[in-house]
Amino acid sequence: MPDADQHIIADLKDESKRDLAFHVLVKTYQERLYWHIRKIVLNHDDADDVLQNTFMKVWRSVDKFREESSLYTWLYRIATNESITFLNSKKRKSLMPLGEENEYLMENLSSDPYFEGDEIQLKLQKAIARLPEKQRLVFNMKYFDEMKYDEMAKVLDTSVGALKASYHHAAKKIEEYIRTTD
Amino acid sequence: MDEIKKIAPELSKINKENPFGTPDNYFDDFSARLQMRIEAEKQATVPRKIKFRDILKPALGLAASFAIIFMLVYVPLKTFIPDQSTEVAALSDDYDEAGILDYIENIDESSFISLLNEDENEDVFSDDDLALYVTANFSDYEIYEKLENE
Repeated sequence: MPDADQHIIADLKDESKRDLAFHVLVKTYQERLYWHIRKIVLNHDDADDVLQNTFMKVWRSVDKFREESSLYTWLYRIATNESITFLNSKKRKSLMPLGEENEYLMENLSSDPYFEGDEIQLKLQKAIARLPEKQRLVFNMKYFDEMKYDEMAKVLDTSVGALKASYHHAAKKIEEYIRTTD
Repeated sequence: MDEIKKIAPELSKINKENPFGTPDNYFDDFSARLQMRIEAEKQATVPRKIKFRDILKPALGLAASFAIIFMLVYVPLKTFIPDQSTEVAALSDDYDEAGILDYIENIDESSFISLLNEDENEDVFSDDDLALYVTANFSDYEIYEKLENE
């Protein structure tokens, strides 16, 4: 674990230094976590909500962090779980029929005023939004974030072999969508 | 990346750039907004300090209520109840049983009867009023017959 992270963790566990240490943690990781969350939920407003929920959870459970993984892996795992919980809750509230869960993501993408990509970027995001949840997570983390498989395995609690297979299937499906859709 | 070129050649042609944007200064303001939420949660979770005044308040309220009820009941009673009954009440408080018996023995019969009948009939008859009433309503024979029977 980097020295800076160890320093932050030590200060977080010290009652008198906690507020300042948490401020440093937020400043250090907010952008990386935001982009990870944004690629999952697609919409800025949703990403903002989930990022806040993520840091609130970190604030509440910092005493439970046992330093078995790196700080960044721990944060990434919380952010991923919060994103999935958020999406599941949205799907339940919108009463979407089975098999049409990803329609919510499509709507999110189309209605987001902060989407700045061109047509081909939009097509790629639509292709990713159609993937099953696990494949979508793996593809984003590998393709865009270039995360190593063993680190990803810690975040998603999945074997490296299963992650490689998911990434392979995801890439094939996206390729198929891009080739066959105008 | 070579793997992607093999399995997804069309995908590998797309620039790997971030198509998403954020509002201006989003990351500059985020920390402050989060801090506000944390402060709100801290306020909600920390139990409010109980002050001595908070404990005293209901007790004072209760005492004030009793005082008001007492004033509403006692003052009108004190004002409207006749003085005599107050004096009798005072006597019953002040004297012991023997004192009360002495008091009863010393009053004459008519005063005693009038005292007993006070609640039912507020008119007070003297011996002369009683004699006048008897002679007006009964004949001499009826009076004689009554006295003989007793």
